[in-house]
Amino acid sequence: MTAAIETRGLSKQYRRTWALRDCTLAIPQGHVVGLVGPNGAGKTTLLRLATGGLMATRGTISVLGEPPAAGPAQLARVGFVAQDTPAYARMRVADHLRLGAWLNPGWDDELARRRIAQVGLDPRQRAGSLSGGQRAQLALTLALAKRPELLLLDEPVASLDPLARREFLRSLMEAVAEHSTSVVLSSHLVTDLERVCDYLIVLVASQVRVAGEVSELLATHYRLAGPRRDPGTLPAGQDVIEESHTDKQSTLLIRTGEPIHDPAWTVTPVSMEELVLAYMNPANDIPARRPQLGVAS
Amino acid sequence: MIRLTWLQFRTQAFAALAAMAAFAVLLAATGPHLASLYAASGLSGCHVDSCQSLAGSFDAEVSTYTSLYVISVGIILLAPAIIGLFWGAPLIARELETGTSDLAWNQSVTRTRWLAVKLTVVGLTAMAVTEALSLMQGWWAAPLGRAVTDGAPQGPLSQDRFTQLVFATHGITPLGYAAFAFALGVTVGALIRRTIPAMAVTLALFLALQIAMPLWIRPHFASPDRTVIATAGGFEAGGATGPGGTTLTLVATSLPGQPGAWILSSGPVNAAGQPVSTTPAACDAPSIASSPDFYGCLTSHGIREAISYQPASRYWPFQWAETGLYLALALALAGYCFRRLNRRRS
Repeated sequence: MTAAIETRGLSKQYRRTWALRDCTLAIPQGHVVGLVGPNGAGKTTLLRLATGGLMATRGTISVLGEPPAAGPAQLARVGFVAQDTPAYARMRVADHLRLGAWLNPGWDDELARRRIAQVGLDPRQRAGSLSGGQRAQLALTLALAKRPELLLLDEPVASLDPLARREFLRSLMEAVAEHSTSVVLSSHLVTDLERVCDYLIVLVASQVRVAGEVSELLATHYRLAGPRRDPGTLPAGQDVIEESHTDKQSTLLIRTGEPIHDPAWTVTPVSMEELVLAYMNPANDIPARRPQLGVAS
Repeated sequence: MIRLTWLQFRTQAFAALAAMAAFAVLLAATGPHLASLYAASGLSGCHVDSCQSLAGSFDAEVSTYTSLYVISVGIILLAPAIIGLFWGAPLIARELETGTSDLAWNQSVTRTRWLAVKLTVVGLTAMAVTEALSLMQGWWAAPLGRAVTDGAPQGPLSQDRFTQLVFATHGITPLGYAAFAFALGVTVGALIRRTIPAMAVTLALFLALQIAMPLWIRPHFASPDRTVIATAGGFEAGGATGPGGTTLTLVATSLPGQPGAWILSSGPVNAAGQPVSTTPAACDAPSIASSPDFYGCLTSHGIREAISYQPASRYWPFQWAETGLYLALALALAGYCFRRLNRRRS
């Protein structure tokens, strides 16, 4: 099965600054992928490279096995909702649906109308008078009714209040489950994504810090607490992600594929939020791992 | 894609249609009267001797239409600029500015096709609108043009076809201007990415070219013909007394035997063909300088008038050359827009 998104050494430079650097990823299809990182980490750049809205400075990217935006057929397979969920202010909601029907051969008009009714949008209303949440729903409807195989959403809930946020993600998940669409959605807050995503990518300072299935990540990360100890003395295969020490105690967050036998440690599982925060902390020196090119499942 | 283009463009299209209708009504209401004035003037088929005076009285009768003439010509001159500003500049810039490019360019339509349809539909409409305005005004002003052919003196209403205002508003040049101004607006919008600044820059660039064209470019479409004729009536003479004697300027306003020729430059020369800048002392006496003998005196001193001009027969070649130049520029700009959109720096 081809990867939803596969990149090798993908880099994007704006004038002097690198927005994305040496990004090597293989995101399998069939996942809801959370792309998490602080503001300015390169999330938008990565998503735009995947839509074909940007050209890479170096490296390669393929989306569903083809170069992004290679042609009408490839464009039809990928849906994209930009960060500010744009809509034509002077056009009515119904006009947006007509636009979608005209420009997309795979347009599902029934789905579009049903969703518009579900989220309570008036087809006669002009998009300029919609609230942020309503506009986000309109943009999502356009992207969903296109019936893409891969849906990319850039900070879809950033501008929404907590209630609208939950409603938006709920309706997204319903629609995605119905058509088994692969989704990549970005956010700078892990709490937004915790409940919906089953695959995680943490992007910090234009570099990928960790990527993998959530269940696999949670099963291989542990918090160790015990008497003070130099992390360098840990057995091979235990990578320290985060460490903190007092005079007598050490607390470590480690990644390992093997069981921990050392009885000196008190081992506790980590939550997704802890894990993401540890990877996002720029003070932590993440040990290099072999990029996971093998596509799972 | 054509349907989307229409959906987004229809407001502007209706505005243009309304403006054209108003223009047509204004001209249709006054055109027949203008034509009847010409028919009654007796200019058509007049004898050479009487033409001049008949034309003079015709000019006086139609002088009430001067403002309408100037306004209609102004509208045709401004139409391409307005199109470049309001149709061209926002075409890409507004999409980028409001972020709707993310919507438009993530449907199952490539950017190339999106731009091709937009440029074709809006660009052809722009050309059609401008040329329609020009044809309507041309119909309305036809009696004035015939009066010029009949020998009416040059005035605000009766000008040769080669005069800048007439050349730029009739024939096929409006097609070229409209296409170029539109493509220029689109290109500047794609580069600046903000609508209002793009409009300002488009206007500045378009005006600059429209001013440069008749002054420095159009005269060189073909190397001008040159002739040397005897000094006689039909010149605007001038001079100023200075320490070296009285300077001499002689500007030809028409060329005998070459009606409608575009005179590029003219000035007095001596028998050897060298330019003359001072009036011979013998012709400088006040009694002579203001009399018809002045020209006789100049002639007796071997002074003749050198004129470089484009003959009237070059009107259509020049129309084609200028329109072709503008269309070529428009196509080059459009080509650049395609490249720019596909380089995807957005």
